[in-house]
Amino acid sequence: MIRIVPREEYCIGCRLCEIHCIVQHSKSKNIIKAFKRERRPVKRVEVEEHGHVSFALQCRHCEEAPCITACLSGAMQRDRASGAVVHDPERCVGCWTCILVCPYGAIRRDGEERRVVGKCDLCPDLEVPACVANCPNEALVLVEE
Amino acid sequence: MKSYRYAVIGNSAAAVNACDAIRSLDGEGSLAVFSEERYRCYSRPLISYLVAGEVSAHGMYYRPARYYQNMGIDFHAGVKVTSLDPAGHLLVTREGEKVKWRKLLLATGFRPFIPPIEGLEEVDYLTFVDWDDAKRMLRLTAKPVASLVIGAGLIGMKAAEALHARGSAVTVVEKMERVLPLALDERASAMVSERCRRENIGIITGQSVSRLEPRGGHRGKAVLEDGSEVPFDLLVVAVGVRPRVELAEEAGLECAGGVLVDKHQRTSHEDVFAAGDAVKAMDLVRGEPAVNALWPIAALQGKYAGMNMAGREVPYPGGNSMNAVEFFGLPVLSAGVVNPPDATYEVITRQGDDGDYRKVVLRGDVLVGMLVAGNIERAGILTSLIQERANVRRVKGFLLEEGFGHIHFPRSVREERIIEAVAGLPKPAGEKAGAGKGKARADRGKGRAR
Ligand SMILES: Cc1cc2nc3c(=O)[nH]c(=O)nc-3n(C[C@H](O)[C@H](O)[C@H](O)COP(=O)(O)OP(=O)(O)OC[C@H]3O[C@@H](n4cnc5c(N)ncnc54)[C@H](O)[C@@H]3O)c2cc1C
Ligand code: SF4
Ligand code: SF4
Repeated sequence: MIRIVPREEYCIGCRLCEIHCIVQHSKSKNIIKAFKRERRPVKRVEVEEHGHVSFALQCRHCEEAPCITACLSGAMQRDRASGAVVHDPERCVGCWTCILVCPYGAIRRDGEERRVVGKCDLCPDLEVPACVANCPNEALVLVEE
Repeated sequence: MKSYRYAVIGNSAAAVNACDAIRSLDGEGSLAVFSEERYRCYSRPLISYLVAGEVSAHGMYYRPARYYQNMGIDFHAGVKVTSLDPAGHLLVTREGEKVKWRKLLLATGFRPFIPPIEGLEEVDYLTFVDWDDAKRMLRLTAKPVASLVIGAGLIGMKAAEALHARGSAVTVVEKMERVLPLALDERASAMVSERCRRENIGIITGQSVSRLEPRGGHRGKAVLEDGSEVPFDLLVVAVGVRPRVELAEEAGLECAGGVLVDKHQRTSHEDVFAAGDAVKAMDLVRGEPAVNALWPIAALQGKYAGMNMAGREVPYPGGNSMNAVEFFGLPVLSAGVVNPPDATYEVITRQGDDGDYRKVVLRGDVLVGMLVAGNIERAGILTSLIQERANVRRVKGFLLEEGFGHIHFPRSVREERIIEAVAGLPKPAGEKAGAGKGKARADRGKGRAR
């Protein structure tokens, strides 16, 4: 199981992680198209900021994940192979129950044509998740358990 | 005679999560599910989405088609259990079949409450609690009809929304002064009502139905307290639900407005467990057992009942009331106490210009309730603070901010929540000493006493 860990002393709040997250989850995976031409997907990482402190936070892939138990449709599931908490947008009905119970505020409303949520999927197609790979300060690190 | 290590009565949120938990600890023990309904496990709350055309029949299922096979579950579909003998470790089905079990789970859920309204029995009314009800509603609204819904709780409002999506003219009558009176506060209720009225859904509050005049089949006329009349082609009764306790009661298990369980979801008989809407279990906010008829709570109780049935003694962490709704583009989330009963509670609200509304309810330094309408993102952080009974004195001024989050907690607390609590991870290299587990725990005591 891999997890992404924030290091607040290195985070400068530039929000590049958010931008690259959006690009990675866009249709074209092209920064200009993602922001200017296509439907912009919701960010799956969020920089929390207060005073001089900031850090980026995304789904913790909780061991006792409240979102899985609470999900009304069965769309939120544990991936047996990777241990990650995965969300199936096809089965999601956008009831927002997972948003109501996620202790990290890591789930957001997504989609325009239909109600659905989005959250960190650890970028299954990439060697290193986009937010980690694109942080200029190594304020996000990958930890392998 | 058939004999199982585990027998489960019911086939919904509580039952299926119990089966999952049992199988995660015991891959071998024989396991049977008895379900009065014929369907494979489906998500009950999705019936309104089905009627509205937002999910397909296929999308209703909570687990894949091969679930029972893959999990090694003997699925008795359409089999009602009519009596129980805990001492003899026996159950009897409607067909008269006797089945032996070692551990039993009662996950019998709820049934709709039917109020004694004059004339009701002569009308072919609908309830709105299961897939068959949804099918009936779909059939009866093939052509748009004028429909009346009695009750503006969650189920009544969901029924109204579904009927509206079918092109029906809808009126909702509610005895209390406002819609969703339990889940929402006054202002949020008004916001929802306004959206409904804009969509031409008639909302009549503070009035009950005195009598019904049948006009054959599904048709009739409701006469309200003030004498006004509402004719309808279709009537939906949704005034509340009651725990289904009759099996448990007849078997001599302790019940009091719900099956009573200990912290391991065990009933008054040591081999019989119970979970879900039929059960009164610990409510974290009220500090006493309560029925919280909610999918996430039923699922969580089922999970803990299952673990305990399979021999791993783990206490149910407790639940609390909570609601996630969206009506006509307005999402509202709430948890815990949203309508404080007296002045010992502190209420802080904030109304944004974009229609965004937030509210927190505190008792002393403890967050006991929240409601967020409009911009609902990250409200789960508040829910988790309510569930942890956390002391929020230091972050009180930030609770209603949209950007409220872990950044506002003392560093040691957020490090524990973000890095350690989740996984017990080793610290990433380069982390300063002193933020280790022991220290974080000690600081937590100061920052957010439990
Ligand atoms: C329209 C609607 C919308 C809802 N929306 C929400 C929502 O948005 N969020 C939310 O949290 N909750 C919602 N709920 C509530 C939610 O559906 C319930 O909390 C949940 O289904 C409870 O699960 P359960 O496992 O306790 O039992 P149930 O779902 O009630 O299932 C019990 C099952 O046991 C079977 N059974 C009972 N007795 C016997 C017997 N003697 N023999 C065999 N089988 C038996 C019943 O047939 C039934 O299939 C909604 C409910 C409805 C009706
Ligand atoms: S979405 Fe939230 S609750 Fe679910 S696993 Fe991620 S952090 Fe945990
Ligand atoms: S919004 Fe989607 S993923 Fe979240 S609880 Fe509802 S159905 Fe499940």
